[in-house]
Amino acid sequence: MNKKLLISLFSFLLFITFLFFLPLIFQGPYHLHTLILTMMNILLASSLRLINLSGQMSLAHGGMMTIGAYTSTLLVMKLGFSSWLSMPLGGLFAALVACLVGFPFSRLKGIYFSIVTIFFSEMVVLTAQQWQGLTGGSTGIFNIPRPDPIKLFGLLNLTFSSKTDFYYLMLTLMLLSLLILYAIEHSRVGLTFLGIRQSDSLAESVGIPTTGFKVLAFGLGSFFAGVTGGFYPHYISAINPDSFSFLYTIYILIYMTVGGEKYFVGPILGAMVLTLLPEALRPLKAFVPFFFAAVLMAVIFFMPEGLVGLPGRAKIVMDRFILNRKRYA
Amino acid sequence: MSLNALAQTFLNGLTLSGIYILVALGLTLVMSIMGIVQVSHGEIYMIGAYCVYYLVAILEVNFVLALIISTLFVGGLGIVLERSCFRPFRGQPDRAFTISIALILILQNIVLSIAGGNPRTYTNPITGVLKILGIAISWKRLIIVLVGLGLLVVLFLFIKFTKTGQAMLAISQEREGAALQGMDIDRISSIAMFLGCGLAALAGALIGSLFSIHPTMGSFALMKGIAVIILGGLGSVPGAVMGGLILGLVDGILPALTTTHIAGLVGFATIIMILLFRPQGLLGHE
Repeated sequence: MNKKLLISLFSFLLFITFLFFLPLIFQGPYHLHTLILTMMNILLASSLRLINLSGQMSLAHGGMMTIGAYTSTLLVMKLGFSSWLSMPLGGLFAALVACLVGFPFSRLKGIYFSIVTIFFSEMVVLTAQQWQGLTGGSTGIFNIPRPDPIKLFGLLNLTFSSKTDFYYLMLTLMLLSLLILYAIEHSRVGLTFLGIRQSDSLAESVGIPTTGFKVLAFGLGSFFAGVTGGFYPHYISAINPDSFSFLYTIYILIYMTVGGEKYFVGPILGAMVLTLLPEALRPLKAFVPFFFAAVLMAVIFFMPEGLVGLPGRAKIVMDRFILNRKRYA
Repeated sequence: MSLNALAQTFLNGLTLSGIYILVALGLTLVMSIMGIVQVSHGEIYMIGAYCVYYLVAILEVNFVLALIISTLFVGGLGIVLERSCFRPFRGQPDRAFTISIALILILQNIVLSIAGGNPRTYTNPITGVLKILGIAISWKRLIIVLVGLGLLVVLFLFIKFTKTGQAMLAISQEREGAALQGMDIDRISSIAMFLGCGLAALAGALIGSLFSIHPTMGSFALMKGIAVIILGGLGSVPGAVMGGLILGLVDGILPALTTTHIAGLVGFATIIMILLFRPQGLLGHE
């Protein structure tokens, strides 16, 4: 047992080290851009899963990202904040909004909750389009400054003039966030979420304040969406209300579902496969949505546990096959 | 605002109401009988509009005939979809929801690759204006209100007085109980899907006679359709009518007074507020 744990820990550390050296292998800006987007999607799908843990399927991730993105951008451009402060503040503001709307929303159950979160997302987009004085309306904001450079005694010198520096920023952000998400899931709070998901009324009856915990899940998940949203405009240097449209939220949901929402690695795997494979199929650009839909359908029809459940599933099929062979031999 | 302008705005609202009601009726039928949220309903609506476009603008079929053909064709498509995609997941809302998201991508991109992304228009042979008390009302818009109203009455009579309609009602109330009484749930689901998709196709075809059509027009219809049935109460036909009327009038009249963005905001905010006080919708029951 202990040996097994050591091996998995070691291979995990090896993998992270590998991730840190990846920009040395892929130096082209296009490759780095793809890797950065992949990490963004991993983070988003994982944070969506946190909300899902409490039995609520939020479709407000796009809206929360928009809130985070605009908050961070406006703090930097209008109030002169450092972007290192504004990015977490963007996340915090998204979490605050999520908590405020979460209290009334959490009264609704199942699909009603999802639909109201869609409406909320649409309202965020409409507000951003309407409030032209602040957000620049439908055209959005351009020339958003890069994050301030980091200089650490000559050891570390990140100026954010190249994609490599952004890669390291996003990698750090993702690893840190995944660590926090993992810790939350395996803490008492995470177990409470699971309990609420299994039986709302039973959890309530043993003295768990379900509303509070549901709002907490919604707020925490939205925080990470807000931080990722805050990162994005500084990276792309532009933002508009349609940057994170409803379709974007749907894609995040697909990453989570295809990967398998039951396990922590599910959304990570799903986001990796579904972001990198379409890029590999780039010559067939027009067929990418079909590919997405086909993967999604295959997973729903044949793999109820998602891609994560694939090895177990394959083992069952193989066992059955061998058993049949034996029977007829 | 003059009386004439006021009447025009009101009629615009009623036209939108007609479209919303048609879309919402289909959605609510499918939702209550199969227990799933069919989010690709907007794409069905879009396909209905494109069918009429091809029939009228390319094959030069009579407009009314094109409407009928498109409704039947898309209804048939609905049956195929029910058979292949939704039947295995009846009563499993989460998985059916994901399947219909996949269908959005597939249907939208099929149309995109066939018809291209440019907006299309087709001419409606029904022209002219009706003058009542000095107020000019275009027949084009009035016909949508009339078709909506007519189909509503037909659907109501169908549910009330035919055996199939009563079976639909029974299944929407208690699926297992209905099955125990010997009702064929598979057949009724197919019929519901046929009716729902047909109604959506008709709505799409009618709106195509007013505005240009494009492959992503479905998301608007879906949003409004969901808003209407949530507002009125899931599975309730009178609720869908009431919700459609309210939302259509709000969307028709408010943009004349403020901007479209604010009108949209008010619409969504109203629904969220209503849901918070009446989670089952205006006329729904838990």
